[in-house]
Amino acid sequence: MGRPNWAPDEIDIERPSVARMYDYYLGGSHNFAVDRAAAQAMVAAVPEAPLMAQANRAFLRRAVQFLVDAGVRQFLDIGSGIPTVGNVHEIAQRAAPDARVVYVDVDPVAVAHSREILAGNDGATIVQEDLRHPERIVDHPDVRRLIDFDRPVAVLIVAVLHFVPDDDRPAELLRTLRDALAPDSWLVLSQASADGRGDDERAEAEAVYRRTDNPLWIRSRSELTALFDGFELVEPGVVWVPQWRPESPESAEEAERSAFIGGVGRLGG
Amino acid sequence: MPGGPAGGGPAAWPATGAGAATSGAATFAGAWAKAVSGTSYLPMTQAQLEALLCRLAQDLAAALLAEPFDLRAGQRVGAELVAAHIASAEGLGRTVEVVQLRLVRDLGLVADDVEDRMARLLAAVATGYARALRDRTLDEQESIRRAAMTARAEAERALRASEARFRHQATHDPLTGLPNRALFTERLAAAVNTPGRAADRVGLCFLDLDRFKRINDSYGHQVGDALLTMVADRFRRALDGHLVARLGGDAFVVLIENTGGTRDVIAVAEAALAAVHEPALVAGHEVAVTASVGLVERQVAGTSPGELMRAADCTMHWAKSAGGDCWELYDAERHHRQLARQALSAAIPAALERGEFFLDYQPLASLRDGRLIGVEALVRWRHPQLGVLRPDSFIDLAEETGLIVPLGGWVLAEACRAAGTWSASGGAAPFVSVNLAVRQVHRPGLVQEVRTLLRHTGLPPERLQLEITESTMMSTAEEPVRALRVLADLGVRIAIDDFGTGYCNLAYLRDLPVTELKVAGEFVAGLRTPEARADERILASLVSLAHALDLTVTAEGVETAGQAERLRAIGCDAGQGWHFGRPEPADRILARLS
Ligand SMILES: C[S@@+](CC[C@H](N)C(=O)[O-])C[C@H]1O[C@@H](n2cnc3c(N)ncnc32)[C@H](O)[C@@H]1O
Repeated sequence: MGRPNWAPDEIDIERPSVARMYDYYLGGSHNFAVDRAAAQAMVAAVPEAPLMAQANRAFLRRAVQFLVDAGVRQFLDIGSGIPTVGNVHEIAQRAAPDARVVYVDVDPVAVAHSREILAGNDGATIVQEDLRHPERIVDHPDVRRLIDFDRPVAVLIVAVLHFVPDDDRPAELLRTLRDALAPDSWLVLSQASADGRGDDERAEAEAVYRRTDNPLWIRSRSELTALFDGFELVEPGVVWVPQWRPESPESAEEAERSAFIGGVGRLGG
Repeated sequence: MPGGPAGGGPAAWPATGAGAATSGAATFAGAWAKAVSGTSYLPMTQAQLEALLCRLAQDLAAALLAEPFDLRAGQRVGAELVAAHIASAEGLGRTVEVVQLRLVRDLGLVADDVEDRMARLLAAVATGYARALRDRTLDEQESIRRAAMTARAEAERALRASEARFRHQATHDPLTGLPNRALFTERLAAAVNTPGRAADRVGLCFLDLDRFKRINDSYGHQVGDALLTMVADRFRRALDGHLVARLGGDAFVVLIENTGGTRDVIAVAEAALAAVHEPALVAGHEVAVTASVGLVERQVAGTSPGELMRAADCTMHWAKSAGGDCWELYDAERHHRQLARQALSAAIPAALERGEFFLDYQPLASLRDGRLIGVEALVRWRHPQLGVLRPDSFIDLAEETGLIVPLGGWVLAEACRAAGTWSASGGAAPFVSVNLAVRQVHRPGLVQEVRTLLRHTGLPPERLQLEITESTMMSTAEEPVRALRVLADLGVRIAIDDFGTGYCNLAYLRDLPVTELKVAGEFVAGLRTPEARADERILASLVSLAHALDLTVTAEGVETAGQAERLRAIGCDAGQGWHFGRPEPADRILARLS
């Protein structure tokens, strides 16, 4: 029986959530049996899955550090997930206590968890919204309360775009966000890529994620680069995430195993 | 105390000194960091990780050499690893391996029973680590479950809120925000049908704005809508405590529960009328608003919501017919009369078809010699249930509904047909006088209809008289006058019926093709008493004026010989009334003639 269209979505924890699967890859325990089962199936198909997640999370950390160093004090993290360890506000506020961070996620459990973690933090909050409604995000009163769109903002959409198929017109979504931003704002994107991988592996990974609410939409490096439209990519451009400004040359070795590509762009004046 | 030599232990730092130990610890920390990297996400830079592990390596070294051997130091290191998110089964395995293989060597540690101590130290690290990891796992499980519960509760709340919103939408009028018919019906049903409330009394106040359509038409719908919203707000304020609903259009209804009698509903009606009355400025227009209100109030027992609504609605229409801007209270008898009238008028078409109507005729006599000069055709209805009905019980209805056109047409045709068959031995046969309703006169086909009838029945035009009322002629339309003129030119007699009761303007008669005035019975009634000089004088001047205009005068309602005598003396031409004969079938009147 379908729900009437005025009724909000149900919370179905019998279905694996990509947010909690990701937490499992990172070594967290903020997950349920269904999530672990799905994550384990993913690991069976793609043994490096946990490494990929860790590499992505490390990219996020370096990107945020880079942005704080560049003077950015406002962060809009869309698809922020379950705050496990190494959250954006922890990184940003450690380096700059006045930094403001607004998290956005569609997953109601992730949102509830974030709210608990952020209780008492005046500089950070969470909003339940969908990347596919960027206008609602930028108009949201809680977003407006913390973020001044007349000043530079870093928009982070990290490990999320592979859940946004081309049918949802990601380029348009990003354009809407871009139009709300002041010059010298930033965009950080990363997502799963199958460049250089076999079709089998890709098919199996896709099969696992079809069990969740978020099927996978793999993109190539050139496709992701195109999504930076209007932004000027900083060095080294869109690369395997371990290659993005690594802390040491060794940490960028075998970077393609991470299966994640990403980059950071700056909005021209 | 990281990095510093332990003060006085059984074993000593190697002779190479603290510097070498520190560099050894760094080498070891590098290997350790490499071993644990990738076991779980480590939220720090490589340098931070190595610094941390370097400190822990020195703690381990100190613990390994400490005297007495302290298990808690090893456990602390295990817990610290977990706290730093080096927190996975693999993380522990790799740690045990790297410490076992390299700690003593890299840091150049020397002790007698180092193997023994190492085993116990690793056991302590593993214990501390496992304990901390278990606590952390449980904490995380708890927090994610709590989050799921919160999210569920939030979703439930949102569901209830949207259900409430949905219910509100389904039960309220979007324009005014008032409850709608659905909610009203529900509440009325509850008020009437709830067990144990039979003895209660309940009232309805049915409100309809007067001439609202005109406001809508002349100012536009936006102004109309703004007005409705404003009126709704006023009702809400003025009728606080009662359920006020908008039924649609400009109709509102108020439910008044637990009334003590009609005065309670009357009070509501008056409050509502007063609220409507306040001057209204809508979109820059000063709009005068009034309403018609129907009230019903009765005991719950024996009534139903539908009955109450019908009664209130019907009563509201009484207020409308009374001109609006007032209330009316339901009256069962009046309602039943109205229903009976409605039933009667609905039955007219079928009655015409079945031939239930027939005509009687009343004599019109010359006042000079008492001779019968004409008869007035009077319609009767032989109703299968109600018996013979006189015209006053159904002509008004027929006029209201427009059924007067077919009915009057039948009367005219039947009268012509009958009169065509009358022949008088000796003098002229009497003319037949037929009443024409306003609508009949205003119909375009009247002249043709009369011509055809005369041709078919052979009735000479001068033996047909058409009686019209003054009001028929008061309209400014030229067409009826022209039609009557054509008929008059044909020779048909035209009489003004009931003259003197209405507008009574003799001047206009000059321009009309009228041949006769029938003076209303009430003037004649005044002649009954010998002292009624005033009435007599009015009548006398009326007659002389009519004669001056070349009109004959017939007096209606002549009941006594005395009246007839005085009318004759005044100069009145003819009379009609009981004195000359009651309405009867034609053959009886004709029989008397011969
Ligand atoms: C793999 S996690 C990424 C977490 C974090 N950004 C990181 O990279 O470490 C993906 C998150 O995106 C969220 N997500 C997926 N589709 C989304 C959408 N359309 N709008 C907002 N969030 C979305 C999921 O609920 C999940 O929490």
